[in-house]
Amino acid sequence: MDKRLLKKANLGKLIEGVTAKGGVFVAPVREAGEVYYRPVTGAEEVVLDHILPKKPFKEFFFPQTEVIASFEGHKDQVELKGYESVIEETVIFAARPCEASSTASLRSVFTWDFVDEFYTNREDRAVVMGLACIRGDRACFCTSVELAPDTTEGSDILLKETVKGDFRAEAVTDKGKAFMERHKAVFEEGGTEAVETKKIFEPEKLDVDLKRISRWLSQKANYESPLWAELSRKCVGCGACTFSCVTCHCFDITDEGTYFEGERRKNWDACQFEFFTLHAAGHNPRDTQYKRWRNRFMCKFNFYPEKFSSKGCVGCGRCIRVCPVRLDITEVMTEISRTG
Amino acid sequence: MEAAMKNLYLPHLVTIEDVYQETPDVRSYRLVFKDPGVRDTFDFKTGQFGIYSAFGYGESSFCIASSPTRKGYIQCTFRQVGRVTGALAGLEVGDTMGFRGPYGNWFPIDEWKGKNIVFVAGGIALPPVRSVIWNCLDRREDFGDITIVYGARTVEDLVYKNELAHWEERNDVNLVQTVDPGGETPEWKGKIGFVPTVLEEVAPKPENTIAVMCGPPIMIKFSLVSLEKLGFSDEQVYTTLENKMKCGVGKCGRCNVGDIYICKEGPVYTAAQVKRMHNDF
Repeated sequence: MDKRLLKKANLGKLIEGVTAKGGVFVAPVREAGEVYYRPVTGAEEVVLDHILPKKPFKEFFFPQTEVIASFEGHKDQVELKGYESVIEETVIFAARPCEASSTASLRSVFTWDFVDEFYTNREDRAVVMGLACIRGDRACFCTSVELAPDTTEGSDILLKETVKGDFRAEAVTDKGKAFMERHKAVFEEGGTEAVETKKIFEPEKLDVDLKRISRWLSQKANYESPLWAELSRKCVGCGACTFSCVTCHCFDITDEGTYFEGERRKNWDACQFEFFTLHAAGHNPRDTQYKRWRNRFMCKFNFYPEKFSSKGCVGCGRCIRVCPVRLDITEVMTEISRTG
Repeated sequence: MEAAMKNLYLPHLVTIEDVYQETPDVRSYRLVFKDPGVRDTFDFKTGQFGIYSAFGYGESSFCIASSPTRKGYIQCTFRQVGRVTGALAGLEVGDTMGFRGPYGNWFPIDEWKGKNIVFVAGGIALPPVRSVIWNCLDRREDFGDITIVYGARTVEDLVYKNELAHWEERNDVNLVQTVDPGGETPEWKGKIGFVPTVLEEVAPKPENTIAVMCGPPIMIKFSLVSLEKLGFSDEQVYTTLENKMKCGVGKCGRCNVGDIYICKEGPVYTAAQVKRMHNDF
């Protein structure tokens, strides 16, 4: 049951098989010219001619906004109600292998010591079906961060498109294997290596050494290096890189409504915003943009790998594509790797 | 049936049992958990903090200002500066707040048995130190000399005035109060001068002594110099750091100083540890 063939013609049946049981089937769809991961109900909605969706699929595990509690205040008491994350099975179809590998990173943050079950409940019930990349662009750099366009890391099932347009499916995890078993009517025999697949895209490899970067970042003196201000000078602090990043996990907790009736929400936030670390009394430890940019870069290439033993950057290139001032993270990586 | 999800961010409900107006913009609340089960079992260690909420306005993090030796309630002290503390300041006896915690590490006072302790605090930074002071005073026989050097900008800005009077009276505590030059009143009997200067006058002996310090960054900076002059090593000096926090549990990404999450690995550090950190607080 490890290697099977998923015919494109059977994709509709698979979607139906998942959604009929109350599950959510998420796949890339086109909306106003852009591709996004969205829940679908039919195969005709799914597009596969894109490079990668505009936003990562992390929002299905860690939504941009979610209610964690609601309250009703009365004259002499408050009624408080806690919320739970919905735990329907969620299938992420045609996930890009780079972002599939980031799930372990988010999990490492949401589970160290304290467990955020809003996150883990969803991720535990998710089946990630990665699809190896047959196309990419100049912003792709997964091979420079020790990944590959057909990496199995983080996927429960890895799909490769065959020359006929079907999918060779390989179970990577037990969860993936069980999923294929449950839907064995559509995962047919004949997914062996003998079936010819389309050529995998090869992104250009950068001249960077991640170990050197991390080592340079670990040295306290380099925290005050003039390089930071130089390299991030054009950053305008819009936060687009963080909102499109697969491993960015920062959030805010805010109340909406009033004391009489309101909700407490967990909302995405960004370390690039000036107010993010501003103390109520006026002090701000990261009071200029280069300090905020430095924090983000260090988070990706030092905190994640050293503190959480996971990847901070998977080379998806979204931050490069969305940056309004073309601040290219690979240029900074190259510079620091050269210096370090 | 799957077990119900554990909601990490759901606060306990607490009732304000008593209110103290410490200064024109600083208030203390004595809080009691509404749930009797929580009230009976809630425990914490001195130096830990909590996330307090004003429903409809949001959450803020401050220390637990009471001592863990005082059971059945917790106390918080805060200055009214923003949206949440503004809303909290509007509450009165009988009103309901939210509380999550305790979070973070603590002062290792069990390791300090038999030692002298010098407390150094400035302004609104007395609350976290107050928890340690009462914890030590409630186990007075475990410690040697106890000295408290506390200063504020003006007489009006001194918090816990009743307790300062009580500590002043006790013969097992050496309390030295000071206000910045110009902050005194005609009736003021304490010292006039900045905390680091007064600390050098008091000149506590470094032998077998621990210093616990909390205050504004400028006070910390110069008090560290004073303690060094007096012969204290960085391992003998403890402080508690503050950074903006939202989750309190190492997830929201705000309070980090380099790769150190103050909320989870702190907020209590020795001066030696603080000096090794990146300059991000």
